[in-house]
Amino acid sequence: MATKPDSIYRSLDRKASAIIEFTLRQYRTKKSTWVVLGVGFTALSLIFLIYIDVMASEFESIDNDGDSTDFDNDGYPRGQELRLGTDPWDGDSHPGLFDPPIEPDPKSMYINEDGFDWDVTARVGLQSTGFDDDGDCQDANKTDSQKDTNDNGVACDIVIEYYRLSDGQLYATIDADDGVDEDPDEDAYSREAIHLAFVLSIGKLGFVLLLGIFLPLFLATGLIRDEMNSGTMHFMLAKPIARTEVFLYRTLGYLGIVWPYVIALGILGAIVSGFAGSGDSFFRFADLGVWLAIIFATMMATLVYGMLFNALGVLWKYGIILAIPFAAWELGMALLSMGAPDSTLLRFSIIGWALMIVDAAAMMVWPSLDVFILMGNWGGDGGANWDFEKSLEGAGPLGFFSSKPGLGLSAFPAVIVSSLVLLLQAAIFWFVGGALFKGKEIQ
Amino acid sequence: MSDVDNESIPQPTEFAAEAPVTGKVRLEAAWGSTEGDEDLTVTTNTAPKSDGQIFKQQYKPWNGELNPRWMRNWAILRHHLLGVFKKGHRPWGVPIRLYLLVVFVASLSDVGMTLVSGLIGDSGLHSVWGVSRDNLYAHVLGFFPRNMLYYPVVAALLVGGVISEDRQHGTSALYFSRPITRFDYVGMKFISVALIQAILILVTLALYYFAEIATMGRGWAWIIDTFPMFLATVFSALLLIFTYTSIGLSLSSVSKGKFFPGIALLSIILGTKVLAFIVSNLFDREILYLLSPYDCLAHVGQAIIGTQPTYDQYSWTWSLASLVAMNGVALYVLSTRVSSMEVTRE
Amino acid sequence: MIPDFDQQGKAQTKEWVPESTAPAILLENVSKSYGRIFALSNITLALNGGVTGVLGMNGAGKSTLFNLLMGKLKVSQGSVKLFGTDPWKNPAPYARVGFVPEHEKMYDWMTGHEFVSTFARLNGLTRDEAKVEADRVLDFVSLSDVAHKKIGQYSKGMRQRVKIAHALVNDPELIILDEPLQGCDPLARTTIMNVIRELGRMGRTVLVSSHILQEIERITEQIIILHQGRLLALGNLHSIRERLDKIPHRISIQTEDPKALAKNVIDIDEVFGISFPDGKNLSIQTHNLGAIHSRLPQIIVDNNHKVNTIDNPDDDLASILGYLTSGGGI
Repeated sequence: MATKPDSIYRSLDRKASAIIEFTLRQYRTKKSTWVVLGVGFTALSLIFLIYIDVMASEFESIDNDGDSTDFDNDGYPRGQELRLGTDPWDGDSHPGLFDPPIEPDPKSMYINEDGFDWDVTARVGLQSTGFDDDGDCQDANKTDSQKDTNDNGVACDIVIEYYRLSDGQLYATIDADDGVDEDPDEDAYSREAIHLAFVLSIGKLGFVLLLGIFLPLFLATGLIRDEMNSGTMHFMLAKPIARTEVFLYRTLGYLGIVWPYVIALGILGAIVSGFAGSGDSFFRFADLGVWLAIIFATMMATLVYGMLFNALGVLWKYGIILAIPFAAWELGMALLSMGAPDSTLLRFSIIGWALMIVDAAAMMVWPSLDVFILMGNWGGDGGANWDFEKSLEGAGPLGFFSSKPGLGLSAFPAVIVSSLVLLLQAAIFWFVGGALFKGKEIQ
Repeated sequence: MSDVDNESIPQPTEFAAEAPVTGKVRLEAAWGSTEGDEDLTVTTNTAPKSDGQIFKQQYKPWNGELNPRWMRNWAILRHHLLGVFKKGHRPWGVPIRLYLLVVFVASLSDVGMTLVSGLIGDSGLHSVWGVSRDNLYAHVLGFFPRNMLYYPVVAALLVGGVISEDRQHGTSALYFSRPITRFDYVGMKFISVALIQAILILVTLALYYFAEIATMGRGWAWIIDTFPMFLATVFSALLLIFTYTSIGLSLSSVSKGKFFPGIALLSIILGTKVLAFIVSNLFDREILYLLSPYDCLAHVGQAIIGTQPTYDQYSWTWSLASLVAMNGVALYVLSTRVSSMEVTRE
Repeated sequence: MIPDFDQQGKAQTKEWVPESTAPAILLENVSKSYGRIFALSNITLALNGGVTGVLGMNGAGKSTLFNLLMGKLKVSQGSVKLFGTDPWKNPAPYARVGFVPEHEKMYDWMTGHEFVSTFARLNGLTRDEAKVEADRVLDFVSLSDVAHKKIGQYSKGMRQRVKIAHALVNDPELIILDEPLQGCDPLARTTIMNVIRELGRMGRTVLVSSHILQEIERITEQIIILHQGRLLALGNLHSIRERLDKIPHRISIQTEDPKALAKNVIDIDEVFGISFPDGKNLSIQTHNLGAIHSRLPQIIVDNNHKVNTIDNPDDDLASILGYLTSGGGI
């Protein structure tokens, strides 16, 4: 005989692989597994299709500064009249009366004619940026003080001042000279903003939240409990194997089906958004970093929730009743993390830590994300003032779905810290679940 | 004596072979030779026949009066409903009953606040909590917490085992061995689950309305003024109960497990809601709300109660049509599953 | 169907050498209670080697005893030791134990071979070793021909045998079988009994439960009788039986002519008394029930008596247990 009594713990790997393999095969024979995975795939695919459709359509161009309009009906858009020095409000004053007469410019010349030329980083202090593409600021007819309405001594620029308030967050004021970057290209901005917001929202809500909670809820709650109910647990427990081991290996078996699924869906998402996303390049390679973080965060979430729900299943025949309020709590925490990423409550959740990984990765991969959101919020109103009602399309959702990692950490340490916390949580739930299982009498 | 009779005496030859050992017969008889159906009892025919025998067949038809159908169905319904309150009827499980109680009490929050505001006479508090179009809507269709934590979870817990447990334990055979059609069986399960939800939603709604009348001393003018609004709320509550129950029961009929129907109902209600929320927020398209049972209910509810609509990209009739389609599919699945259900233990 | 036990195979060719001086099973003053109900009370027992039958009615505590031994339940009082180790705290002794649970539910989606080999790996075997061992034990319980069919297609007897194979795969010193013969057809019964006898012959400690004496008797002579959680009898079946022989038995026969039958029956040596409770019944008293029952049918047929029923009014379990518990007669 190959085994001798002294070799019980000699072959942990053999036992482990046997139970993991067994669990995987057991999942494969259950119809509900395929229904759950299929529904998850269908739901995310639906969102991907809508995303592709949105990306393929044109975003309406808006004349943010209103200079394409011909207010006085003389055939000349306001911008042309201003440039040439005629009165845009007087139908009898237009460049057609010049000698030689000047033909009216097409209106499209005055739409999206002055896009963003920002080169700033999110740091405390004053920064000067911007460039007057259409020349309405650099107009020779203007005096120097007219060109420098923000009084910083530089003609035709934008002054951005970042400052930190007592809550530790960076805030910004924007003071632009008249006519600088006042009519940005909606299509370029919104396409990019909606792409970024899509990656973040589908990553945080679709992957980490929905997949992260519902896959374990369906698949992990019965890992031990179902076997205990049906009596088949007797076969496994009659072998020289500790119950905490059984608990661990069963959970690993569950991860064996969930992790490849999450990875496959994540790759699908990366491919879809990489090809369909905005930008000139054929494929958005830079986003892969964020997708990697999304996959990783979802894997961590399914690990921790799997351990937790498995333990709840061991604890009580109606473990699901404990799991459901917990899932609702996590849903609330996910929404909280969007609004208040520094909230202390988040530290008592699982999803708060998992979302921190995504936020940190977004911060690393898209370092100018904050400035980009600022741009969109500011740029919709012709550079005049702050009006969130008029912010560029996509800036709002992007601002909602993106947040800082919290804890005042920079990106990389945030990933490390949250990963460690999640692993610790998983270990705690394993320990608790194993202890519960060990103390459980099985009929 | 025929050979057949000899065989029903337990193995006399074997006893003879081990002759002097005799205490065994006592033990033998005590623990039965096999399954206890072949005791040391010999029944001989008074006239043994060498050929076969055809026994005289006697049928005695039952001439009793069968109670009317509604009475049998009422028994099933009563069995399920009373199980919530006392023992000896369908066991709903302590945690489920506990959760029902918690939801019932939590659903009374607006009743309590109305009473409090009436007692201390705080009109500011009353304007927030008193009966109004928005508050009636929120009592039934508000998302947080009622349609996130209360009603879908209650529906999930109730439908969880209501059919699948019968299948698992083999107790469905107890029903079908009686003069009860499958339609009656499922119909009564449906109504009992719906009634329990109705107790939670409609009773608290009515209490809310009466609390307002009682504490604020409302007169007939007010009642006539607000009653259509109240009726519309009741109607949307009925729609909500019906929808949750039909989706849940169809899930319960397709699955063996107890957990699956419950989680599946919750994930359908909450999952579609979250997905539709993402899409509407991100892409400004509300079309996915048509797939979300809760949002369709909320949209229809807003239309008939008359609150400020939050869905504006399509008409509420689309939501209604979607609800009809959802319920149709669910009832179709339920009816086909039940009519083809084998009455076996699974 | 009966396996050829002289085939080549590790289990048969190798003599078992006990590796520890601790007895396989040691129970000391073990009680197990659920609330105020005692499922087992104050059982002290040591077993090492040989086949032992555990007899008892349903609810006598057989399954509770086995679940205690298998570490599924925690003792309320006393101590349970398998090879000197408490199984509730440490699963290590199971490396030397094989367990056949009573539960009918199995993994229907696996083949018998997969089932046995997968669970063999939980004993620490590699994948390849497990396959070889699975082949061996499936052959041992004569299931080789259906080893690669799904368990869902097995008959009840096959299921029981595949459970036994799964328990034997680690070549255990102690084998615990909970109702292994329940629901089996006679052929499967014979096979399983032969397997159990063979295990006993190989020097293993085998504990097998049943509520049917006859089955146990064909396997072993050493029995334990449990009744209402208490240990009622322990030891050799013959000696217990001899004690039982001292009590008189009654046989009640309902016939059309009791007196005529009595004349024929009185000739049997073992009969020491006859009475007529009423006109239709005859009551025979004897010390040797088996002898009467072996001869009675012949007498009835030879003399053409018209007999309606033959009954042993004293042979219900209550009177047996009453005798065993009080030590007296009926």
